[in-house]
Amino acid sequence: MLGSLPTAPALSRVQCGPIPAAAGIGLRFPHHQLVAETRPLVAWFEVHTENYMGGGKPAAYLDAIRCDYPVSLHGVGLSLGSAEGLDDAHLERIRLVVQRFEPGLVSEHLAWNVVDGTYLADLLPLPMTEEALDVVCRNVDSTQTHLKRKILVENPSSYLRFQHSSIPEWEFLAAVAARTGCGILCDVNNIYVSACNHDWDASAYLDALPIEAIGEIHLAGHAERRVDGERVLRIDDHGSRVAPEVWKLYAEALQRFGAVPTLIEWDTDIPAFDVLQDEAAQAQSHLERFQAGEAHAIAA
Amino acid sequence: MPSLREVQHAIRRSLVEREDGAIMPYMVADGLACEQRLAIYRNTFDCNLANVLRLSYPAVNRLVGSEFFDGAAEIFVHERPPRAAYLDEYGADFAEFLAAFPPAASLPYLADVAQLEWAVNRALHAPDAVPLDAQQLAGLDSVDHDSVRFVVHPSITLLSGNYPVDAIWRAVLAQDDEALAAIDLAAAPVWLLVQRRASGVEVTRIDDAAWHFSHALFAGQPLAAALPDVSATRAATVLADHIASGRFVGYTIEKPNIDTLPSEIAA
Repeated sequence: MLGSLPTAPALSRVQCGPIPAAAGIGLRFPHHQLVAETRPLVAWFEVHTENYMGGGKPAAYLDAIRCDYPVSLHGVGLSLGSAEGLDDAHLERIRLVVQRFEPGLVSEHLAWNVVDGTYLADLLPLPMTEEALDVVCRNVDSTQTHLKRKILVENPSSYLRFQHSSIPEWEFLAAVAARTGCGILCDVNNIYVSACNHDWDASAYLDALPIEAIGEIHLAGHAERRVDGERVLRIDDHGSRVAPEVWKLYAEALQRFGAVPTLIEWDTDIPAFDVLQDEAAQAQSHLERFQAGEAHAIAA
Repeated sequence: MPSLREVQHAIRRSLVEREDGAIMPYMVADGLACEQRLAIYRNTFDCNLANVLRLSYPAVNRLVGSEFFDGAAEIFVHERPPRAAYLDEYGADFAEFLAAFPPAASLPYLADVAQLEWAVNRALHAPDAVPLDAQQLAGLDSVDHDSVRFVVHPSITLLSGNYPVDAIWRAVLAQDDEALAAIDLAAAPVWLLVQRRASGVEVTRIDDAAWHFSHALFAGQPLAAALPDVSATRAATVLADHIASGRFVGYTIEKPNIDTLPSEIAA
């Protein structure tokens, strides 16, 4: 009977260290002070690696927050898909941030944004080819060697595909994990967005990912944009609450992967902190319902 | 089949140079024109970088208005896209760009304000460094005083300008129209020191002599070489203020040339 299980608080503080299989929040500058001063109940925080490469206030806040919460680092600028290889200076900056904050997880994206030494400030899609797979694996290898640790690689959202792509994205991602030993950061919202934009089967995408490689899940809101009058494109703007369809897909992901650290991301029109806590509480209740169901199944 | 490098070059041309021709043949249209798909990425590229510049140049943004700022940022971004993913360092040459940007010519002090904002931005993001303690200097042999070279804190910039840019900057950020109206653009040149301290970034006016002496010191010149710009008593005061305010993080002593190194010791 489910009622006999202990009722844990929706969110509980966890000692700093490894990232727990609980709901965390993406921490952005507007909430630094509030978090540092009030120490709200949040299981863990994730920050963008690039925002802590300097000194001063941001780093000082993270030093303080790091004492009370597990923290993970999520990079946007390493460009794992660059044909020209990695920017060594950027990789070294990441290493120094990792060294300072000792994060529980370090992640990057299955995307690219550097060509000819120019940084294109977005997460750009790769053609899904054998050549691109070799490039990404080589770059993931260099990263893991330089950082002396495993990283997670996140599936991107995308608005275009290439004619010469020959490998489905889910197979590509699984192959990167198999060949490099990296983990996968499964962004459920990105799967939903890309599946809508490219007529993929989102459930089949989840089913194709190797369970043992999944180290984290991301959830975020997206926008619908009507283009050309007719066609609707889903835009991954991280600017609203998680969509109902994405919560549904998240429940499927938990069924498949088990309880995994789950993060709420919000980057555009960042709301009051309690809105983020509310979203995290929803993710937490999904996680607990899943864990309760699993315990129930074992007991039966 | 294009190589990955060719695809990445072609996308760069679309985003930065706005030429979609090279990438379009490789794309799947799938019910939506390729130009529309590329426009989504170009919009993100433009907006992300314009926002990075706006965060670093809030007073410039207020002075010219966000529409003008977006227009200037778009041209800047396309002419000088970032060279690294560490965007705190992006936009160092925006002041130089604005100085040569004809539509901004009616605000002659705009580039100087931008230069101050970059120094503030630099101070905000500079690496942490432990300031030199006066105790560490106490043991310094007096014969070495002249040859001391100080290492300046990485958050510090010295600026000079023909306009009272510090007053303009403060009034604009405070949205204080009265203060802004009271500024005399023809006032004497300003000599500024920008520094990050525990409480935040400080922009301080110093005098001409102290500025030149400090400039030489911060450039790593030995004390004796920096001294001709200022009287000895004034130098002592300025130096004491620098040390008390944590503006140095270390020092080295330049020994006079020793022609006869005792090589027999090594042997």
